Amino acid sequence: MELATPPGVLLESLPSLYVHLPFCKSRCRYCDFNAWVWKGQDLGRLVDALLQEAELRVPGLRPQTFFLGGGTPSLLPPEELLRLLQGLDAILDFRDSSLESSMEANPESFDEATAEAAVAGGLNRISIGAQSFRPPVLAAYDRPHGPEDIEKAVASARGAGFENLNLDLIFAFPGQDPLEWEADLNRALRLGPQHLSCYELTFEPGTPLTRKRDAGRMEEEDSDLCLHLFDRTLEICSEAGLDRYEISNFSLPGMACLHNLAGWRRLPLVGIGPGACGWGDGVHRKNISDPAAWQADLEGGGDGLEESSTPNSQTSAFEHLMMGLRLEKEGVRLSRVKESTGVNVEDLPGDPLALLVAEGLLEILSGPEGRVLRATPAGFPLLDHSLQRLLPEGRG
Amino acid sequence: MSKKLPLHRIRNFSIIAHIDHGKSTLADRLMEHAGAVDKNRSRDQLLDSMDLERERGITIKAASVALEVDVRGEMHLLNLIDTPGHVDFSYEVEKSLQACEGALLLIDAAQGIQAQTVANATLAMDQDMEVIPVLNKIDLPHARPEEVLEQLEHVLLLESESCISCSAKTGKGVEELIEAVVDRVPAPTGDQDNPLRALIFDAKYDEYRGVIVNLRMVDGVIRKGDMVHMLGAKADYEVLELGKFTPDPKPCDSLEPGEVGYLISNIKKLGDVHIGDTLTVQKGERASRLPGYREPQPMVWCGLYPVRSGDFENLRSALNTLKLNDSSLVFEPESSDALGFGFRCGFLGLLHMEIVQERLERESGLDIVQTAPTVPYEILMQGGNLHTIHSPGELPESNLYEEIREPVVTTHLLIPVEAIGAIMHLCSERRGRFLRQEHLSPTRVMLTWDLPLSEIIFDFYDKLKSGTRGYGTMNMDEPRFEAADLVKLRILVGGNEADALSIICHKEVAERRGRSVLRKLQKEIPRHQFEVALQASIGGKIVARESIRALSKNVTAKCYGGDITRKRKLLEQQKKGKKRMKSIGNVEVPQKAFLAVLSTDE
Repeated sequence: MELATPPGVLLESLPSLYVHLPFCKSRCRYCDFNAWVWKGQDLGRLVDALLQEAELRVPGLRPQTFFLGGGTPSLLPPEELLRLLQGLDAILDFRDSSLESSMEANPESFDEATAEAAVAGGLNRISIGAQSFRPPVLAAYDRPHGPEDIEKAVASARGAGFENLNLDLIFAFPGQDPLEWEADLNRALRLGPQHLSCYELTFEPGTPLTRKRDAGRMEEEDSDLCLHLFDRTLEICSEAGLDRYEISNFSLPGMACLHNLAGWRRLPLVGIGPGACGWGDGVHRKNISDPAAWQADLEGGGDGLEESSTPNSQTSAFEHLMMGLRLEKEGVRLSRVKESTGVNVEDLPGDPLALLVAEGLLEILSGPEGRVLRATPAGFPLLDHSLQRLLPEGRG
Repeated sequence: MSKKLPLHRIRNFSIIAHIDHGKSTLADRLMEHAGAVDKNRSRDQLLDSMDLERERGITIKAASVALEVDVRGEMHLLNLIDTPGHVDFSYEVEKSLQACEGALLLIDAAQGIQAQTVANATLAMDQDMEVIPVLNKIDLPHARPEEVLEQLEHVLLLESESCISCSAKTGKGVEELIEAVVDRVPAPTGDQDNPLRALIFDAKYDEYRGVIVNLRMVDGVIRKGDMVHMLGAKADYEVLELGKFTPDPKPCDSLEPGEVGYLISNIKKLGDVHIGDTLTVQKGERASRLPGYREPQPMVWCGLYPVRSGDFENLRSALNTLKLNDSSLVFEPESSDALGFGFRCGFLGLLHMEIVQERLERESGLDIVQTAPTVPYEILMQGGNLHTIHSPGELPESNLYEEIREPVVTTHLLIPVEAIGAIMHLCSERRGRFLRQEHLSPTRVMLTWDLPLSEIIFDFYDKLKSGTRGYGTMNMDEPRFEAADLVKLRILVGGNEADALSIICHKEVAERRGRSVLRKLQKEIPRHQFEVALQASIGGKIVARESIRALSKNVTAKCYGGDITRKRKLLEQQKKGKKRMKSIGNVEVPQKAFLAVLSTDE
């Protein structure tokens, strides 16, 4: 079995750390993340609160991966970025413990100074939200940058010493010619990224884009065309030496994003910052989403927590499948699901797994690591269908 | 109403009219004139109003009103008997007319004679009733009384001099109308010394009092406390309460020949009372049954299935509740491979079906899948047995029967002359047989066609309305069964026969129907992760095929460690949406696809 990274690299017992920076320059029309338009809120106080939460909840964490996401972390002035990273390192010792330390950046706000602060703060991987190289598409998404800003941001990252670089791209913009997507992809590849995330445009509930579609002013692309673009993406990336290891993620050999891999493998995760989610010891934890409310809670002596919940074992097992089946080649090790949740997914009521295997959508392989469940090539683009059938009947 | 009036002072009459020609308004004016209601009670259309039917905790929709009026110095009792307004077939009006000796034929002076005017008038004249034509809305600026009077003479052979003009809205002409009722409608005949004989012409279910029976007395006297017998239902009851509607229910001690009133006993279900039945005494000399009444047969059938299979018993109890108030609704449990357990329901006609479904959904709150309506068919089996089927699924193998007979109705279509071509074309396309064409006036014509009822239930009425720019009206006589060259069209979804989608149709159109049903299904069934084959077959031979392309991609693009709960909930929601569909094999079929066979898309 070909794994995106050798199994020994990420340890099942060790946590990953995610830190959320909630502000953006503007709101993208497709985005349903916990992102807030920055209207001059005090970013220094935000950094204080992030450090305060880390100190309060996870001093000495020593995470095996670290990811600073958003929002737009590159919105932080270089000195605040550096203060955040150094502060976190003092509390958590991530520079020594992490195999990979990433940060998300937006092209309009990632200049040389920010890139240098990121490197000085101990980061070794940068993920730039390019999305598209076509001005009309960027405009339709309300992205606050142009194609040339992407190239400048990549140059800043390289100049500061980032050797591991990812670009985020979106395909299947309604009405787009398939060749335009191929051109976008090729232009991204010419920048020499170690990693690409290529997302099909998703009409998430509640976004301006979805409202536009629901009002009949925009039509989603037909699934045949989406599959064609999905397949073309794989071909073009393969030719450039980038392998697909997850639905939307491609990398040079050995350059898969370890932090995200840990998530798909359901390894423990600590989330710091407004709306950040975490997971460990069978408990889901979610912070207060509103940055002001989260900050006020911490400043008032609280821990920023909105809710924690303990899903039942069936739901936990399903979450293992939901995440792990996204890993195209790796799949889910069934013994690990059993160990982690107590549920044998080959023994579910009505045996949906056997049906899905019989229908050729999923397959079970036996290897040195035990029985592994994964999607077949035919079933991979239809994963949501399989997952719906694997959902436990009651509510978790 | 203390003193009983002699028979010759009693008149029993109905108002018959096309919908919206002013029947309810005229009834209000007559009641006001008789002082039955206070003029200051500003509510219009008293006979229809539910608020006024509340008295002592009972709600009754008055089926009749007893009016005491002074005509030329003598008190008369006029019983106005209500006829149902919205009917599929004209014979549904019959039960009310049987309780009367005369009828006011109300015609809108602007709209003129319509299909139901003709049908109802014919029905009344066939029963030898006195028909008094009344021109209503004469004060409207676009009233054209001369033209309507000419239609009256020409179409109904009623003398225009016999016609009375009025305005039900203003009350103009109402007094003259009352005099005409007294002068022209014959007084009822009957003998109080004969054995009790009364016609049950209507019944309503009341939540608190049980069934309230409407009676028209013919012979004998009925008193509170009597034991009575229903000849047709073969059931005995004690008379707990007698009364008259004035229009509020007013109890009385007895009812005598010619009178119209109500009876309350301990009757629990409307189904226990047969409309048209004869009431007589339990002990002693019994009267013979009153003639001429036929039980209306359900002519439109469809399957009703709960979306959630656990709701089967809830649907049964909802249907039982409706049946308490609507004895013409019939239903029996049936099961379908595709839809599970449900009920096959029979209705008098399409209109009746719509009313029942609307009430069912509103009153029960259940999610219901309806299969396409079908007519009943008579199957002449090898060996000569005749039996009736109510769903295409019941049709035996073709080698087991000799012929299929379908209901055919003589249909009267009243249309503007310029629509003749379009409507003639529509009728012949629907396998109609042309009978005659009569000109009512230079602008209006009545076409009479024999049409298979099954062709009428497929959007015929809509086509009539669009073909006549809304001016066409139609009326159907009682259906009869005739042999026809019919076949069963089976629909296969993903290789599995969808029993709930099969239809019986004429051999000549079967292929075309098959294709159009498949095209409709292609639009209604969402794409699956595999290709779905759609086929139509007749007698084992595939006559049409289509396919629904496989859904090629269905996977969440972006899902990371922090989003787990949210993404799982999204999947749960999507799954819930699918659960509201029914599956045929492994194909999920939404509710409205089951009506696909109704589509004609010519």
